[in-house]
Amino acid sequence: MNPIIDPLQGDFPEVIEEFLEHGIMKCISFNRRGTLLAAGCSDGSCVVWDFETRGIAKELRDKDCAAAITSVCWSRNGHNILISAADKSLTLWDVVKGEKIYRITLQQTPLQARLHPLESTLCLICPFSSAPITVDLRTETTTTLPISLSEKPAPTSKNKFSDGSAYTPTAACFNKYGDLVYVGNSVGEILIIDHKKNQVCGIVTISGGAVIKNIVFSRDGQFLLTNSSDRTIRIYENLLKQQDSHKLILDEILPNSENEVEMLKGAGTNCLSLFREFQDSITKVHWKAPCFSGDGEWVVGGSASKGEHKIYIWDRRAGNLVKILEGPKEALMDLVWHPVHPIVVSVSLTGLVYIWAKDYTENWSAFAPDFKELEENEEYVEREDEFDLMPETEKVKESETNEEDEVDITTVEKDSAFSDSEEELCFLPADPCPDPDVSGDKHTGRRDNSSPLSEDHNGYSNQVEGPENSGGEDTGGVTHLKRRRKPSEKVLEQQQAQKVQKSKASGKSLKPKSKFGNEQEEENDMNHFGDENGFDD
Amino acid sequence: MASSEALDNTTIPQPYKLKQTLTGHKRSISSVKFSDDGLLIATSSADKTARTWSTSDGSFLQEFSGHDQGISDLAFSSDARYLATASDDKTVRIWDVSTGVTVKTLTGHTNYVFCVNYNPQSNMIVSGSFDETVRVWDVKSGKCLKVLPAHSDPVTAVNFNRDGTLIVSSSYDGLCRIWDASTGHCMKTLIDDENPPVSFVKFSPNGKFILVGTLDSTLRLWNFSTGKFLKTYTGHSNSKYCISSAFSITNGKYIVSGSEDNCVYLWELQTRKIVQKLEGHTDAVIAVACHPTENMIASGALENDKTVKIWTQEVQKPEDRTDEMAKQ
Repeated sequence: MNPIIDPLQGDFPEVIEEFLEHGIMKCISFNRRGTLLAAGCSDGSCVVWDFETRGIAKELRDKDCAAAITSVCWSRNGHNILISAADKSLTLWDVVKGEKIYRITLQQTPLQARLHPLESTLCLICPFSSAPITVDLRTETTTTLPISLSEKPAPTSKNKFSDGSAYTPTAACFNKYGDLVYVGNSVGEILIIDHKKNQVCGIVTISGGAVIKNIVFSRDGQFLLTNSSDRTIRIYENLLKQQDSHKLILDEILPNSENEVEMLKGAGTNCLSLFREFQDSITKVHWKAPCFSGDGEWVVGGSASKGEHKIYIWDRRAGNLVKILEGPKEALMDLVWHPVHPIVVSVSLTGLVYIWAKDYTENWSAFAPDFKELEENEEYVEREDEFDLMPETEKVKESETNEEDEVDITTVEKDSAFSDSEEELCFLPADPCPDPDVSGDKHTGRRDNSSPLSEDHNGYSNQVEGPENSGGEDTGGVTHLKRRRKPSEKVLEQQQAQKVQKSKASGKSLKPKSKFGNEQEEENDMNHFGDENGFDD
Repeated sequence: MASSEALDNTTIPQPYKLKQTLTGHKRSISSVKFSDDGLLIATSSADKTARTWSTSDGSFLQEFSGHDQGISDLAFSSDARYLATASDDKTVRIWDVSTGVTVKTLTGHTNYVFCVNYNPQSNMIVSGSFDETVRVWDVKSGKCLKVLPAHSDPVTAVNFNRDGTLIVSSSYDGLCRIWDASTGHCMKTLIDDENPPVSFVKFSPNGKFILVGTLDSTLRLWNFSTGKFLKTYTGHSNSKYCISSAFSITNGKYIVSGSEDNCVYLWELQTRKIVQKLEGHTDAVIAVACHPTENMIASGALENDKTVKIWTQEVQKPEDRTDEMAKQ
């Protein structure tokens, strides 16, 4: 993407960079490129944040719906958002216009709603207590997917309602191209279903038979993740070729096999192979909202324990735990990894959205190319003629650049991280909120505000750490962190070894007072002007 | 009328000729920009106002007054609905193009704001100032998102690349720095053996190269990833003012720049030869801009002149060409 960004030591976040506040947010989702973050709130509205400016770009509010949003999902081209709410409704919004396209009421509260990756009106719903269904929003038809094979008796579940009736929570997701649905049922089986034919094509059983709570694919569709109630996250490698995978499976199924179950299990082994298992054997914590990083190299899972906000990051290839991010003592509700950057966004029980990013260590060599950072003092032995005065030119000019070479200034390289760019919505138009009619005199002489710390008002992000980039002007009161030097490889190796030993390394936690700014002497009046007008829509 | 001198026996097939002169500003012009759709030209001036003109007929459309001091730079948003101006009164103002009303005033700089630009998504504005910092602003709220400790001398130019991920800044301290737009970290510093004050910098259309103008009458094209310059363009005069330059890619690849000898220079990109000198201004040409789709150049000059001139390339039909050849 960017040719001069140095490869980072570990491409995962480390500390809370910022948090976003707007009502009580429950669930979040990035659009395909990670430029917009949609957050569903407890009052039924959905807020779209411009992730670059950390400001609100749009608010989708439905007067008919006042129930808490249970899940948010972007369409592939970024033009639509699918929202499911606690009042059993399912709504498809046009983001730019801010209008509803479809709205359906289902039989049960949908816990999770996902749009088909390619077909814009088909979606997969995981209801509160029954089998997953596919819904065509246009025709409003629903199709219930099988959660177990017909011959087997209905799986007895260990989870029961208070009145004694059983409910079978099932998790489901589309594969990358949406031709197959992978369902995780309550007896630890992953069913691979061709949803068009509503037929099970393969089964993979997880040893132990624990209830599968989440099932998620990586962005490139190469890996599948399951989160089971036996406190283990399992990573499977997707063995199927990406497109037309359903056809492949059907070829595998021999028509004259004796036992259908055995046949399907055989087919299943051709589809998924267990790659890794992750668990915390010490605290044996249940996991919540696990997912992959954008490039599939890292697996992240939140601790489901109430009262703590811990995020575990594992290296998918090596299989080891690399980091535990610790946030404030609020339970974690939802977790997503940015599609491109090493950024993790988590939602806490209080409704705040925390943005975790890498800890900024200044790269001094970027400021002056001949700077070399030393980890320790080095003994420097000067050359024999180091301090001699040379009459002729001292600097040997490098071979003259061949200025005859052709230079291409117009060809644009395609972004390798994304396959194509159809008419994709990456940004919402930003109209400046007009200042109220104040004469310009008030602005002169106003104390400079180099940190966007703002007081209590809806929708603005709050910088947690003091701005490390502020220049000459010192606003005072804002904690300026000393610029830390990037540690050398040797030191990092040591740190890594220590981390793995302890298996615990807490990131910087929120300073208690910085939620609403430190002793900030004067606020820039501009922020207040911005508040009073609210946002568009 | 413009004469087209041919130097080194190379000429572009159809030379640029003066089409129109736009008058109205009361003091020297500081910046000229085309909107992305090519319909509007915006000019800023030391007379504390900015003006928009129609590209098609050069008619004056709107005046933007409100700044307390002269304006050094201006920029269109991508949809051309808003204009941002950078002024010596230490503020950046966002104007509604159609009505001429100030929509927002961005305060924070502690000295003259010298340069301003929108990012392609037009949700952020970057500005550089004599207070040696570069500031990134959120368009919607007017908040200053970042303050970059960019340089140790006045910042003369700031520019986003085509996908808005990088910012390049230049300064009188002789350095060009590349910044990551989302985090504000410095990615690279470009420095050569000598560092004359850098008066202008901008990204190439594909964002891989930067065009750097220095106050030793030189323009250079750098590949910032390798940190080496690839082309040098000389022949013009630039040692006092921050003269802007542009890429002309609508009909062949050229570099266009103003000059203190009152001409607009055109160099061929690859061969680096001067292919045309546009004469007509009566003072140093401080700003040039190229139309996004048509073969049109706009240039603005200083105090003695106070005008903006539009130059176009006549597309000759083949028959005309043979006639001309026959005449010669």
